[in-house]
Amino acid sequence: LKLGVELGALRLKNPLVAASGTFGYGVEYEGLLDLSLLGGLVSKGLYLEPRDGAPIPRIVETPSGLLNAIGLQGVGARAFVKDVLPRVARYDTAVLVNVCGDTVEEYAEVTRIVDGAPGAAGIEVNISCPNVKKGGMAFGGDPRMTAEVVSAVRKATRLPVIPKLSPNVADITLFARVCEESGADALSCINTLLGLVIDVETRKPRLAFGTGGLSGPAIRPIAVRMAWQAAQAVKIPVMGIGGITCAQDALEFLIAGCRAVQIGTSNFVDPGLYERVLAELRAYLERHHLQDVNEVVGTLEFPGQPSRKEVAP
Amino acid sequence: MPANRHATLVAREPLDEAYFLLTFRHPEIAHSARAGQFVMIKAGVSVEPPLRRPFSILSVDPGEETFSLFVKAIGEGTRALTRLAEGEVAQCLGPLGRPFTRPEAGTEAVMVAGGYGIAPFFLFARELRAANRSGRVFYGGRGERDLQLRERFTGLVPLVTATEDGSLGARGRVTAPLEAFLDDQAGAVRLYACGPDAMLHAVARVAERRGIEAEASLDPWMGCGIGTCLGCVVFTQSRDEARAKYRCACTEGPVFDTSLVVWPEETESRARRRAKVEA
Repeated sequence: LKLGVELGALRLKNPLVAASGTFGYGVEYEGLLDLSLLGGLVSKGLYLEPRDGAPIPRIVETPSGLLNAIGLQGVGARAFVKDVLPRVARYDTAVLVNVCGDTVEEYAEVTRIVDGAPGAAGIEVNISCPNVKKGGMAFGGDPRMTAEVVSAVRKATRLPVIPKLSPNVADITLFARVCEESGADALSCINTLLGLVIDVETRKPRLAFGTGGLSGPAIRPIAVRMAWQAAQAVKIPVMGIGGITCAQDALEFLIAGCRAVQIGTSNFVDPGLYERVLAELRAYLERHHLQDVNEVVGTLEFPGQPSRKEVAP
Repeated sequence: MPANRHATLVAREPLDEAYFLLTFRHPEIAHSARAGQFVMIKAGVSVEPPLRRPFSILSVDPGEETFSLFVKAIGEGTRALTRLAEGEVAQCLGPLGRPFTRPEAGTEAVMVAGGYGIAPFFLFARELRAANRSGRVFYGGRGERDLQLRERFTGLVPLVTATEDGSLGARGRVTAPLEAFLDDQAGAVRLYACGPDAMLHAVARVAERRGIEAEASLDPWMGCGIGTCLGCVVFTQSRDEARAKYRCACTEGPVFDTSLVVWPEETESRARRRAKVEA
């Protein structure tokens, strides 16, 4: 059975990637699971300098989900490439680095630092974090800023450039196309949905930041729909993200047209899930007499649309 | 090294109110856990509620390869755990976090527990006895029913109770009999606290005022238990740090030196001071 997938120049041994912000810098999982099981992992978002992140409390559980406002606490790009990247790069898995910035220049600078250090397989561009006042979603919600950030990152690296799109927009296909035109090699769809949980006793938000980003199975149908829309709108490959807990969930994204998927909140629930999801994925392929996971990609038969099988060359 | 595995429930003992003693099979925890460490655990493999829950380890039995938790069924996650039948499994990761620091020889461990904050002190009392150290427990709660497990300390360490309604032991806060003891105590002591935040802060103030070393086990909401989600961070500042910073309760705690913690009331007053300076 072939599980390898290609997203432009980025080759993954299997389509399962650990999502940014849910897997630390990868090294935290050493000893708990074999990182070489993963197709790839995406680092926690990195600015040039270390960041304190958002005030506490930062997380609250919701029905089938998690609302967070961590605020991109992190060690900074230089400490990451010096202390962490060499350690995580020893594993047989693609290490993608999630880059952030308060300004377009900062995105480019962080990208150059990562590009100049051995070990990274690609750059994920964070234009969708809802929990920071500058950058993040403020850039990813504005097509002009999206184009500027993605173009600047594109110029700063030879590595694959993968913008991570925000679902907090009216039409994600517009942003998918802007990224493609600005030189992106692939897309990550989607980041968290902006949410608010209120403590009715104190009449204050549960999170100190106020609003937060909603993740987990609660958002999966929205994520599948948006990844499906994005995949139809562009020629570059899409990584689907949102509430994946098992192979069946991952397959929804693949069938919708995603080349790979990222697993996020479920890393907190079960750090050992990759082995299980890969076994479930193999079992599915066998049950459907398929030799290659790529045969599943984009096979959705949607009412009113021509079957992908019929239009395929 | 913590291990993530399915842990079979081997014993389920309902206590008063909504309290339970749950014993699971988990060799790594049974063999290596130290008092103050915790587990991230969730009943079965259901998606609801999504997250595992952190619990202090109450006791271990290396011979049987089991450990026990003291659980109060208060929300969905804890209710699901207490509804497990013997033979059913939980997903369990542990042992996690930084344990209590054992006192030096000749220093008495004075443990201060509030409600189900008693849990880590049972294991600690056993460790102290095995290490030939002396200890005692001050155990407080709203009423008698909050002071579960107190008889299990008989023969291990002396235990003094206090209840706010006066139903058992001294009436009032547990810090009152604690301070009375410290007033009369000539020898060296070290304080250990686990319970509600207000009680932890009160013990921290007692320790600071009297110049005693103290550790507190903190219990913020936790996402992952291994330092990746950064959801459980605690605002801290050591004496040699120029500014306060966040530390993960799961990996750098849950046991913190009380002098390291910037308690919430202090955070607010610092913010007010800063606002004043900026204005």
